[in-house]
Amino acid sequence: MSLDSNFMHEVANTPRGRGILACIQCGRCSGSCPVARLVADHNPRRLMEMIILGSRDEIIRSQLPWYCLSCFTCLDRCPQGGDVAEVMFAIRNLAVKEKNMPDGFAAQAKNLVETGRVVPSITSIVSKRVEVGLPKEHSTATKDVQKILKKTGLSKIIASKGMVKE
Amino acid sequence: MKYGMFWGCLIPARELSYEVSVQKVMPAFGVELVKMEDTNCCAPFGIQSLDYTSWLALAARNLCIGEEMGLDIMTLCNDCYESLLMVNTILKAHPEIKKEVNEILAEVGKEYKGKVDVKTMIDVLYDDIGIKKVKDVIKKPLTGLKVATQPGCHLTKPKRIHFGVREFDALDELVKATGAETVSYERREMCCGGPLRGINDELARDVARIKLINMKNVGAQCIVTVCPFCFVEFDLGQLEIRRHFKEEYNLPVLHFAELLRVAMGMKLDDWEIKSHRTPLEPILKGRVKEG
Repeated sequence: MSLDSNFMHEVANTPRGRGILACIQCGRCSGSCPVARLVADHNPRRLMEMIILGSRDEIIRSQLPWYCLSCFTCLDRCPQGGDVAEVMFAIRNLAVKEKNMPDGFAAQAKNLVETGRVVPSITSIVSKRVEVGLPKEHSTATKDVQKILKKTGLSKIIASKGMVKE
Repeated sequence: MKYGMFWGCLIPARELSYEVSVQKVMPAFGVELVKMEDTNCCAPFGIQSLDYTSWLALAARNLCIGEEMGLDIMTLCNDCYESLLMVNTILKAHPEIKKEVNEILAEVGKEYKGKVDVKTMIDVLYDDIGIKKVKDVIKKPLTGLKVATQPGCHLTKPKRIHFGVREFDALDELVKATGAETVSYERREMCCGGPLRGINDELARDVARIKLINMKNVGAQCIVTVCPFCFVEFDLGQLEIRRHFKEEYNLPVLHFAELLRVAMGMKLDDWEIKSHRTPLEPILKGRVKEG
């Protein structure tokens, strides 16, 4: 696979990607990562290295940046201010622009567009709420969510995944 | 003391005992929770993963509602808290980003000004109410109960927006105020695995198992959390771990609001006790009359 020598700068120029420029490949992030303990392939240092070296195609299609729990332990421990967990968001955002996202994330997006929430209420819960004296639901501005996502272009990307109507 | 109450989605849709407990305990401190109407998704990590600007705009719309009410916002869920806090921090510090976000918010008739703060229930109890007043309302001290606290990642990390590890200690101090003991366990600061639920359930389960082992090793009798994702991860997670690894941890999981409610001498209803998948009875026995 060909390397993209500009990729590190492309990432650095996204809102959450600047930390990549600070990475010295010390590996403290990998030593701190709860997922790296369990999944040998999920190695934050290695992911940072792939960005620095320009393995754009590989990383944009990879599931591994999506395994990050966003626990921010690596970010707190990085001696360089490399903001590894933030860089994972930068990579995910770039991947989404090219319509790459795991099904679990697409499902959250579908709920968001259709209901204005990531975890929608279900019928059995509504009756339980009423039974125990809680309001049926807390009001949600679903239409406003749809307007915002239309304006930012996210609803178009989600629609292109075939999960919801634009 | 009044706060704009942001309930989020997971708690009202799945963890009703948490919602009820918060409403039962907070008035004892003179706190009035004014419901924020017509809110939207806080834009948690799953949504932030998709698009930066959508995240900012969705979270900011909620912040605008707090501003319109003229009230600081109180959250319960760690994901809601972190998302709203991060966006509030970013928008207060960067006028150029605020301008961009406000252009989007104009579509829905809102404008972010940066006039309110975002707090969790833990901040409210620890900072605004104070440990002394919490101790004052305890009627049935939970003497002898050994608690492993799970504050959850987004109550405390990243440090640069959370003032270090204060909130870890805050939850422990609050638990101790109920008369219970807290145990110190290895990797307390580690994630529960929750964010991987729905993405890779096996991996989420395996992360939780590491924490359960460490909690059990130091003699914990129950887990106390504030985050609805941590709650699912440990409560439901223990069933999955039992099935897969044939291991029994028997660590009941309570939200701090539930623990406080019990210590204040208010019973949990039968349906609330039964809503916990890992049975609560062993730790409630002899403390508060059940049902």
